[in-house]
Amino acid sequence: MSILIDEGTTFIIQGITGKQGQRATGEMLKNNCKLIAGVTPGKGGQEVEGVPVYNSIKAAQENGKEIDCSVIMVPPRFAKGAIKEAIEANVKLINIITENIPIHDMAYCLALARKKGITIIGATSVGIYSVGKSKCPPIASGKSKIAFSQGNIGVISRSGSMSSETSLILTLAGLGQSTVVSIGSDVLMGSTFKEVVEMFESDDDTKGIALFGEIGGTSEEDLAEWLIERKNQGNAFAKPIVAFISGKFAEALGVQNVSLGHAGAIIEGNKGTRKNKVMKLKEAGVHIVDVHHKIGEKMKEVLENGIKE
Amino acid sequence: MKLKEFEAKSLFKEAGIPLSHGTLVKNVEEIPSFSETKVFKVQTVANGRGKAGGVFLVENSEEAKQKATEFFGKEVLGETINEILIDNKVNIEQELYLGILFNTGKRVPVFIFSEKGGVDIESLSEERIVKHEIDILKGLTDEDCDVILANSEHNKAELKDIMKKLWECFVKFDCKMLEVNPLVFTGENYVAVDAVIVLDDDANYRREIKFSERTDNRKATAREIAAHEIDKDDHRGVAGKTFLDLDGDIAILTSGGGASMTVMDTLVEVGGNPANFTEYSGNPPKEKVERLTKIVLDRENLSGLLVAGVIANFTNIKETLEGIMNILIEQKPDFPIVIRRAGPHDEEAKVMLAQVKEEHGLDIHYYDEKTPMTKAALIMVELSNEYKENKKAGVMS
Repeated sequence: MSILIDEGTTFIIQGITGKQGQRATGEMLKNNCKLIAGVTPGKGGQEVEGVPVYNSIKAAQENGKEIDCSVIMVPPRFAKGAIKEAIEANVKLINIITENIPIHDMAYCLALARKKGITIIGATSVGIYSVGKSKCPPIASGKSKIAFSQGNIGVISRSGSMSSETSLILTLAGLGQSTVVSIGSDVLMGSTFKEVVEMFESDDDTKGIALFGEIGGTSEEDLAEWLIERKNQGNAFAKPIVAFISGKFAEALGVQNVSLGHAGAIIEGNKGTRKNKVMKLKEAGVHIVDVHHKIGEKMKEVLENGIKE
Repeated sequence: MKLKEFEAKSLFKEAGIPLSHGTLVKNVEEIPSFSETKVFKVQTVANGRGKAGGVFLVENSEEAKQKATEFFGKEVLGETINEILIDNKVNIEQELYLGILFNTGKRVPVFIFSEKGGVDIESLSEERIVKHEIDILKGLTDEDCDVILANSEHNKAELKDIMKKLWECFVKFDCKMLEVNPLVFTGENYVAVDAVIVLDDDANYRREIKFSERTDNRKATAREIAAHEIDKDDHRGVAGKTFLDLDGDIAILTSGGGASMTVMDTLVEVGGNPANFTEYSGNPPKEKVERLTKIVLDRENLSGLLVAGVIANFTNIKETLEGIMNILIEQKPDFPIVIRRAGPHDEEAKVMLAQVKEEHGLDIHYYDEKTPMTKAALIMVELSNEYKENKKAGVMS
């Protein structure tokens, strides 16, 4: 098993005719993903590598396409419209690859999705990869595919590039992955650590979970609070979680206004500091490693020892 | 982007929120003549200017001019003062607090209201602050306002009007956060005396009112300026867009946002001292990497060069590493060079690096995807320490 997507999942790409959409199409076909259609308003009737393009999701559905998941690759200013369209067409899973979507647009779409029980991963995600089964690109494209191997560890990463590196160090430690989820690092995330951890909980094939967290936001703290609550209710989370939280360098600099690659890593006040995240997660029983590649050995160790109180 | 008080107030004004009347001055000559007590407020992006001595009463324009002469060009909270707001003094019966921001856990906007506004709102006890979640699909409704003001003795119609306008301002100008602290009750009406707004930069394209870019107060160094030039001349890929001059002795060339930060985290963790932070990505041409390498190596007493990134999707590893090698061959440094790169054309890169090592005697340590990226960073620190030890021993003997 895996979470979110598998061999049977049917996909569309919104923004399929763009450069990124075309590249993703090739990548999905190469990996035998069930990419059944693409959507770009005004380009209906065209094809991208043999995949039919429609003007709207509705048009695709009217042509008999049953869509499980939409991958959003439209420019940021069209993202709200595209996401809204997918929600209204009742597509149950939406993976947003688009970066730089205005916060108010995301807040609106997330509220709409919540109402209809639709799952959103991203924005600023690099995709979802159920290893050996199916994927939403660009994750595991080209050579970076060698980082992944099929197995029993769920990976959740706020950083796109580190979702691949985190999988690699697990692979090097002999631990394959069930599903790798790039949740993005936006202020408002479609799905947070807590929500994806919950999905992994009910996946029998996932025996452990590896997290890559960052400073800024409250996703790590929210997960910790939820885990603590579960423990207090006598229903402790039963799968080991190992995490690395990035941000030592950014915090050592103390520079807040310089763009350091990840816009999400902006520290606002004391909230979202690395120290706080690490403290809370440790309290919740999450195993924290101080250097990223130790995730591999740590995971091996905790899987062998079982969960300690 | 965080706005200064006068900028935030310009958006409040646009939204029709009642404000204290003031005059913004950019030099001493602009201060109008007056003979009543007014509030003198230096304009900073940073919070805490009041406590830092930047907000006080002045009795007349003479005193204002004298104070302005002192403050213009001076630094407050690390910022050079270029604007001062001479604000009318209002009668304060009570100070209220109103704010709107997003709860990142629940991913909804939250309206915050307190009747104990003033400087240290965050230190108030929970029950004195109302936090009310708003359904963004409906906006701030009358019912929301009623709930928020349920325990208030104030004029609800007037406050409601202001709250609605604040919400409009929050939505219309794509604010990440907005705050009035305090909203003063003068005994007759309500006046926003201070304003804080953080704008969402991702919505800049659709905001009609534009603000000048915020710049870091620290002056850019020569290396930083040179690095920023690289992308201006050639738009293929990114090289040097982010460049920070640091105090250490290990030169850094990383690739990819989260990966770059993780490499730097590793150095900090084990006490390695980076001489800079910079990245290149998106398959830049060799020439751009050469220029960036030159800048990165332009530092006395380096003890190593670390080139690191995750497995690349598109970046041509041979091309980009060749750019780095070209400069190293020219300069022939004797310090260790640690490279952790993999991706397209990395097999050819491997051959090329072995050749360079052999022919030019460079101390190259190459690692591919079989060695974790952060492991390579640890190796860099070890080799750099050894290099420094040997050098010291060499000098001594």
